[in-house]
Amino acid sequence: MRPVAIIGTGQTRHSKRRDDVSQPELVREAAAAALADADLRPAEVDAILISNMELFEGRAFPELWAGAGAWAIGKPCLKIATGGTSGTSACIAAFHQVAAGCFDTVLVVGFEKHSEGHTQAGMALTDPYWDRSVAAGALGNFALSVCQYVQERGVSERQAAMVAVKARRNAAANPHAHLQLPDLTIEEVLASPVIAAPLRRLDMCPQSDGAAALVVAGEASARRRCRRPAWVKAAVTRHDKPYLGDLDRRLATMRTLRQAAAVAYRQAGIDDPVRDLDVAEIYEPVTYAELAWYEALGFCPDGEAGRLIEDGVTAMDGALPVNPSGGVLSTNPVGASGVIRVAEAALQLHGKGGARQVEGARRALATGYGVYAWSDVIVLESAA
Amino acid sequence: MNARHRRRPGVWLAGAGQTGPAAADSRSIPEMVLAAVEAALEDAALTFDDIDAVVTASVDLYDGLTASNLAVTEVVGAVMKPETRIAADGLCAALHGACQILAGAYETVLVVAHGKASMASFPELTTWAMDPVYLQPLGVDFETCAGLQAQALAAFDERAERRWAELAAERRRQAAGHGVAPPRTAEEVLASPIVASPVRREMVAPRADGACAMLLRQTPGGRGSPGGGQTGNRTRITGFGWDLAAHAPGDRDLEQWAGVGRACARAYQASGVVEPADSLHLLEPSCHYAHEEELFVRASGAGSGPCVSPTGGLFAGAIPVAAGLSRLIAADRWLRQRDEAGCALVHGSWGPIGQGQAVVILEAAA
Repeated sequence: MRPVAIIGTGQTRHSKRRDDVSQPELVREAAAAALADADLRPAEVDAILISNMELFEGRAFPELWAGAGAWAIGKPCLKIATGGTSGTSACIAAFHQVAAGCFDTVLVVGFEKHSEGHTQAGMALTDPYWDRSVAAGALGNFALSVCQYVQERGVSERQAAMVAVKARRNAAANPHAHLQLPDLTIEEVLASPVIAAPLRRLDMCPQSDGAAALVVAGEASARRRCRRPAWVKAAVTRHDKPYLGDLDRRLATMRTLRQAAAVAYRQAGIDDPVRDLDVAEIYEPVTYAELAWYEALGFCPDGEAGRLIEDGVTAMDGALPVNPSGGVLSTNPVGASGVIRVAEAALQLHGKGGARQVEGARRALATGYGVYAWSDVIVLESAA
Repeated sequence: MNARHRRRPGVWLAGAGQTGPAAADSRSIPEMVLAAVEAALEDAALTFDDIDAVVTASVDLYDGLTASNLAVTEVVGAVMKPETRIAADGLCAALHGACQILAGAYETVLVVAHGKASMASFPELTTWAMDPVYLQPLGVDFETCAGLQAQALAAFDERAERRWAELAAERRRQAAGHGVAPPRTAEEVLASPIVASPVRREMVAPRADGACAMLLRQTPGGRGSPGGGQTGNRTRITGFGWDLAAHAPGDRDLEQWAGVGRACARAYQASGVVEPADSLHLLEPSCHYAHEEELFVRASGAGSGPCVSPTGGLFAGAIPVAAGLSRLIAADRWLRQRDEAGCALVHGSWGPIGQGQAVVILEAAA
């Protein structure tokens, strides 16, 4: 694939309710920030990709009226929607459209305004024959899979709580993050109410209103416009079966993430991810999922994820900081969450991470997670 | 056709399959899609193992499913493979599949779209695609928007309604035998009930159920060529473009389809078409209303030379979301049946008054 790079990123302030803005205004806020970061005028954008999960707001084709916020009128604009992976899939679509030579610059904007809809109702609109009655919504299906994972791997509640604390403390250094819980303790996580055993409230991600955007450019433009472009070294997608009952031991196996990571690492020349990556932004809707993803991404052998978090390997001062942004556990506007992962990874390579910057970051991983077991894996790299 | 330098290499059509259009297909969406995919694989003499990636098109609200592509993941062969879902007309899935191939990401991409109009009242669903602040509270849907556009066109053209009736009658006649609606005379069209003045019921392409699948390849392949056997298809995509116009009818010039013009300009540039009237032999537009065909022909700059919708276009049955992909399949079929070189312009649209527009240029060697 021809070289393409991310040259600018932008995000809104994320919160439980953004009553101060409409959906197009939310889109505009993120798009304007990304274009400003890339030093690009709207007229210089060739095409736009939007990611959003429309039924969470109970609508169809929201890009038709929200696209104006991304200056999409009179330009090629499409919407990508694949559940939680919508944002990462939209980024990968942009990589392909630029690498194909169709466009020089593509603006990707992900957004969600959960407060204007009913997310649980939207998530309940799954397969009507088998899954709707047993696995509707993230909470129920994760509770089932986490039980299996805990039993198989021996992960403790305390180790999961450590993930929750890491995420929320990291988020405190991120001015965009929704949840701001800088003093959260493991004890507080363990004292939070169980909402679907073994998941406690603080094990789960929030529902956020927000948007995120980034600019993808071809090689010549990227070199001209950006001091440290975040070059795309690998972008791999794997989908899996759509029925929860067909995904036995889902978190323990997570074969889509394992295979996508293996392919991406090979493409990017990564042998040992903990050694070769400088930072990772992974899509972890549940604390236990982050532990399972450590194993699937090869950060540790199977069964060692609990030890990895205890040893601080994935902390900000560890060998491989995971989710300096605070992750999905701190900010989750679903249509934007994947874009945020990629934007945060690129931000680290641009050296614009502020208080959450990983010093000297040169190679970053971003992942997307959607439906029950769909995965996107993206590796970005800045020039040495 | 004028010989010109081409900016990009082409993407080959390797095989196509389709179910419907049917007024009410009793099969589930996955069953319809599987039938279309298997037909495409057979047409291309390929198997599921040959597919590198899949691009699907579906709209969650139309299907009543969140992440509606999950209903078809297995039947399109996307388990443990890359899949992208476009929430727009199915022709856009083909455009994105072509992008993936041109990017060098994959060699063989399966493109699939489906729609099941019989599951719900389509006009009622489309109110939920309108701006919720200014337009949806007025009860506006895609059909009322089409009426507004037809009013704008007919305001100073007293022959317009008669012309649209004759066009609808002609398309219905061409679609007879393979469509979902019976033929009608122009008088019968003009006597049919008004659905959004001045648009009458028989001027609306009948909505239908169906699924469409197309295999795209980096290299020639498939057995659909007139030469037969495994010698490969000879049709390829040489250019494409898409566009999003303003949403509110009040923000647009309803007397033209500017978005088609912009999308065509991008496609013509990519494929090296300078004089579309000279280069194009076939137009396969996705016109859900008779008056849209006039808008399309004018915006495309194709003039009166090319053959237009020889099998009746969407008047054979307009499958929501899959409409544009059904036109791609129809154009491919038309080009395959010719013994000479040919060039076709294929069209898909989505949103109110064709807010979203996409076009593809197909070229077939002799």
